[in-house]
Amino acid sequence: MTAEDSFREMFAMIELEMRRLRHDRTEIYTRAIQPILWLGVFGTVMSQVRGIPTGGMQYIDYITPGVLLQSTIFVSVFYGLTIVWERETGILKRLLVAPASRWATVIGRSVASGVRAVVQALIIFPVAILLGVKFVPNPLYIVTAFLILFLVSGGFAAISIFVASLMKTRERFMGLGQALIMPLFFASNALYPIELMPPALQYVAVLNPLTYAVDAVRGLMISGDLSNLPVDVAAIIIFDVVIFAVASLSFRKIIE
Amino acid sequence: MVFAIEARQLTKIYDGKTKALDGVDLQVNPAEVFAFLGPNGSGKTTLMRILTTQFRPTSGEAYNFGLDVVQSGAEVRKIIGYVPQETSVWADISGFENLLIYSKIYGVPSSRRKKSIEDALQSMGLEEMANRMVKTYSGGMVRRLEIACALLVKPKILFLDEPTIGLDPSARKAVWENLTSFKREYSTTVFFNTHYMDEADIYSDEIAIINKGKIVKSGTPSQLKHSLRSEILQFHSNHFHSNHNGIDENILRNIRDLAFVRDVVLCDSKLDVFVEDGEFALPLIIEALRSEGVSIERISATRPTLDDVFLKYVGTLSFGRGGK
Repeated sequence: MTAEDSFREMFAMIELEMRRLRHDRTEIYTRAIQPILWLGVFGTVMSQVRGIPTGGMQYIDYITPGVLLQSTIFVSVFYGLTIVWERETGILKRLLVAPASRWATVIGRSVASGVRAVVQALIIFPVAILLGVKFVPNPLYIVTAFLILFLVSGGFAAISIFVASLMKTRERFMGLGQALIMPLFFASNALYPIELMPPALQYVAVLNPLTYAVDAVRGLMISGDLSNLPVDVAAIIIFDVVIFAVASLSFRKIIE
Repeated sequence: MVFAIEARQLTKIYDGKTKALDGVDLQVNPAEVFAFLGPNGSGKTTLMRILTTQFRPTSGEAYNFGLDVVQSGAEVRKIIGYVPQETSVWADISGFENLLIYSKIYGVPSSRRKKSIEDALQSMGLEEMANRMVKTYSGGMVRRLEIACALLVKPKILFLDEPTIGLDPSARKAVWENLTSFKREYSTTVFFNTHYMDEADIYSDEIAIINKGKIVKSGTPSQLKHSLRSEILQFHSNHFHSNHNGIDENILRNIRDLAFVRDVVLCDSKLDVFVEDGEFALPLIIEALRSEGVSIERISATRPTLDDVFLKYVGTLSFGRGGK
């Protein structure tokens, strides 16, 4: 098994997702509705309240990174459903009999989901501009922010693949997927600063990879303050490496 | 000589209790079409999944062209093609795109990719629908596309798990005609699971019959049929249907005890009696059945088919070798 085989499989998986998206974009559009409502309704209304210390940002600006991340992570967390479906059909068996490693299969699928998630964020981004969100006017910062979105989404897709390899059926997976997303979102700094949370929840928020991702994306897209960026990126990379390893190790279980 | 596929005392036990394979020995010659027959749950798919490196046997060894499926899994995966029983193509992209993605996964070099895809499409007669979305394909077309994906790398062994299940007769015929001509061109070894006897009879060079994890009989189709060395006299009676177990076993035993009777198999309302000389045996069996109070509705006599071979070795209620 060469690295070349593995990279080739990863790129084939990304290409697969891109081709699927090209044939049918409905999902991307319908999934954009909820985040747009978060920004347009929740963000706009809460902007009037000014009860949450946002460090001088407009509330809608403050929650935009969190909403972008939530929408990309939604794509990733439910990517496992694709894997469950491929398990029910023969596709996974076939991929595991192809000359590529399971690492390549898992990371390839996760990365492919990350790409899909970034496309999702690209739909929401212009809408956020129309809603009056003020982004840092530096293309390099914005591109880096999208890179962070991509890295985090890939990691969450790997979690989803890991869960799929344990749950194995659609129904069980759906239950867990739903149970995962909202707590992740609420136990992070996506909607309010961590300091406002009860101490127990603060502890969860510190372990929540979403917290670091929100912090990084907020720094890059909204505040322009990059002082936390190295820590945030390190946390995200550790998260990715650990979860890629765990998901790869458990992957073979999925077809047994 | 190196066998295309060789298994020695292969055993698979699931969760420490369910014995799916029980000491399977198997040898398949290169460039042969090998049919693996067995009822549902007999271990066919388990064997194929071990041979294709999907999971490890509990004990025993298996080789594809001398490569150990456990030790050298990565090398094995480079020389085999595999089509699982369930759908294994993506329905939301076109047939051509499926082949393109699979060719990349299998590592077909970009210089040869176009040619490989064209060859595979042509081998399976799919050129005209290549650019249609797979969700618009018929069942037979999907199956041919799946096989085409496996042909991209010109595998040395092609594993097909129930390749024609659920297809109508003309689609089955199309699948096999395409496969046969591909096999002739590239001398690929084809190993397939099926429970369609006619398919095994027409298209395979060699057959093994598996039941409850054990190979109960193997040979060429004609050897298997000759192994019965008999004509089959078939007696139809409602009596057999309504009185299962107890009384039937007595009748079977009495008939079995007649000197000229080789074997007796009861299946639903039909009693198959295997004899060497039907003309001589018929009156005596009628006599024996009458004396047991069985009213016969119809009698037919047939030369053995592969169905009979299968029923004899894995039959539901059989008084002979391999039965219970």
